[in-house]
Amino acid sequence: MVAKGQKRKLHREDEGRGAAWESQLQSVLDISMDKFHRDQALVEPSLLRSVLINNTLRQVQSEVRAQVESLSAVKILTKSQTHSGSEPDFPRGPPPSEHNAPLFSLNAENMEDDFMAWTSEEDFSLSSAISVILKDLDTVIDAGGQGPCAPQRAPLGSVENLTGDARLVQSSSRAEKMSDMMPSIKMEAACPGCPQDVSLDKLLLDIDTSVFEPEVNLLQGLSDDLVKYLPSLSKSPSASSSSSLDSHGQATWEIQEIEHVMDILMRTYPQS
Amino acid sequence: MMAGVGGGNDFQWCFSQVKGAIDEDVAEADIISTVEFNYSGELLATGDKGGRVVIFQREQESKNRPPSRGEYNVYSTFQSHEPEFDYLKSLEIEEKINKIRWLPQQNAAHFLLSTNDKTIKLWKISERDKRAEGYNLKDEDGRLRDPFRITSLRVPVLMPMDLMVEASPRRIFANAHTYHINSISVNSDYETYLSADDLRINLWHLEITDRSFNIVDIKPANMEELTEVITAAECHPHQCNVFVYSSSKGTIRLCDMRAAALCDRHSKFFEEPEDPSSRSFFSEIISSISDVKFSHSGRYMMTRDYLSVKVWDLNMENRPVETYQVHEYLRSKLCSLYENDCIFDKFECCWNGSDSAIMTGSYNNFFRMFDRNTRRDITLEASRENSKPRAMLKPRKVCTGGKRKKDEISVDSLDFNKKILHTAWHPKENVIAVAATNNLYIFQDKIN
Repeated sequence: MVAKGQKRKLHREDEGRGAAWESQLQSVLDISMDKFHRDQALVEPSLLRSVLINNTLRQVQSEVRAQVESLSAVKILTKSQTHSGSEPDFPRGPPPSEHNAPLFSLNAENMEDDFMAWTSEEDFSLSSAISVILKDLDTVIDAGGQGPCAPQRAPLGSVENLTGDARLVQSSSRAEKMSDMMPSIKMEAACPGCPQDVSLDKLLLDIDTSVFEPEVNLLQGLSDDLVKYLPSLSKSPSASSSSSLDSHGQATWEIQEIEHVMDILMRTYPQS
Repeated sequence: MMAGVGGGNDFQWCFSQVKGAIDEDVAEADIISTVEFNYSGELLATGDKGGRVVIFQREQESKNRPPSRGEYNVYSTFQSHEPEFDYLKSLEIEEKINKIRWLPQQNAAHFLLSTNDKTIKLWKISERDKRAEGYNLKDEDGRLRDPFRITSLRVPVLMPMDLMVEASPRRIFANAHTYHINSISVNSDYETYLSADDLRINLWHLEITDRSFNIVDIKPANMEELTEVITAAECHPHQCNVFVYSSSKGTIRLCDMRAAALCDRHSKFFEEPEDPSSRSFFSEIISSISDVKFSHSGRYMMTRDYLSVKVWDLNMENRPVETYQVHEYLRSKLCSLYENDCIFDKFECCWNGSDSAIMTGSYNNFFRMFDRNTRRDITLEASRENSKPRAMLKPRKVCTGGKRKKDEISVDSLDFNKKILHTAWHPKENVIAVAATNNLYIFQDKIN
């Protein structure tokens, strides 16, 4: 009972911070991504606006990461407390001589319940899944910064570094780099013939909602929303990347045409 | 806190004039984008989104009418900038006038600089009230006379004619900015001026159009690393070697052009430490400085960010000496304001002639004035309802919560489409010009 009371206290604190914070985080993320993608579609988005939106997205990202880390720590702490026995005031369960032992091994020592063990493993895999999602979000931001559209239209693209024909080459190499950097986001519209990368499916499999305890609902909601975002991210980047791949496609087409012309010339005027 | 009652330093603002169309449908091209008095206050220039400049001139005071100061009437109208197309980048360059800055008057003509996103132009505005008549080689209507028919010579004489005000472009300073110009500022040497875009600041000589010196460049080698842009810049009013520029992160850098040719390293760095208790996702966006203005004395400078105006002593870099809240009630609405883009609105601010008061705009056609000595502030509204001649303006109040008193307006009723971004204060008198979308309001202080 007392342990439950303790747990409840922690749970309430988390929820108090979580509800309002999570909803604002969600709103900011939604709005920022929407603006980000709208600006990408513009011919010449305002640089000030792009920088501010980009910085906000990065801030959201770091807040989510911090929250994930703190919740993982809290989860570990909760586990250790529930296993520490019936003494409510006993802070961490282990005798003082062991207080320097890392929490992981502590957890393992106290583990008696297989269900709890499995849940904590799931939590760790959840945390790592979230980290991967965040990394992908990071990649999208960075790739977006490059500009999935034609390079000269990217708000943060190195417009001035490109001169004349280099742009053609640059745009195709950029598109390639981008697809390399986003392996886990499906680009169905982009390359129908390519083998689909299924790591996104794997991530979805990892997140099994049925085993979540109340404390982790916050995290689950967050992860669900982030995962919900990934399809929209994969849609919009693919939409804009399809335009970049259009420009990539167009660049390729132009290169092909040039090559075709060269072939004709070579046939007409064969070199000795 | 209300000013406007009693004497002393309190102002009693009265409606004087309003310029512009009354129609509910506002043409985009008519939206005023900049307002500026000249050095004497005799002329008031406005620029709009359609690339036009309208200059108003103050009438001489009439002895017949009751003691009210002269009104501003249209003096000259001209098309300063036209829309252009950048063929290399397939981009349209807007003709919107971003800034107008007057040059000090040195002869009968008036000169001003006007700029859009890419090109700065020097305009000469001159009066012509005489014309020569009696030419030898051409008729009065301009046709050439047959030289063989001319039997005698005559001296042309100057005859009076109706006053004509001509505006002619004397210099065009183009092709120096890759990014959008946000500021121009005439130097106190009256020979040079600076222009600033998102990443660079250039120094020009007024006579030389084919080159400029780049004095600040914050463009990173890798554009993906860009996290901060230049938002405004201004020359010091007395020291021709000093200028400041503000950034999107709420910092101001003061640079001395004597120190180095490229002023990437600042001489002074002004930044207020962030209050951790008020940190939010929008902290950075609302800290972005939209305007920076030196005081007339040159001792202080004022910055405008989204929610406040700050006065800085140039000798103290770690925090401002005064902070005035413009519309703190918006702090709880930042998420909505982010969503509807209002959080990116760039409000300007201005000093009065004696640096004792400052003014800035807000939403719902409200504008705010702060008296630095008495610390009193007042909120006024620029609206057609209060536009009876010499009608005194009633102070307005925004209700932030609880019971709304009579005449108060609640935060949720504010019209965020009616924003006052541009205001100007006469350099010598208490006359202010307030741009409300496509209308220009002129208010005067009742006390002469």
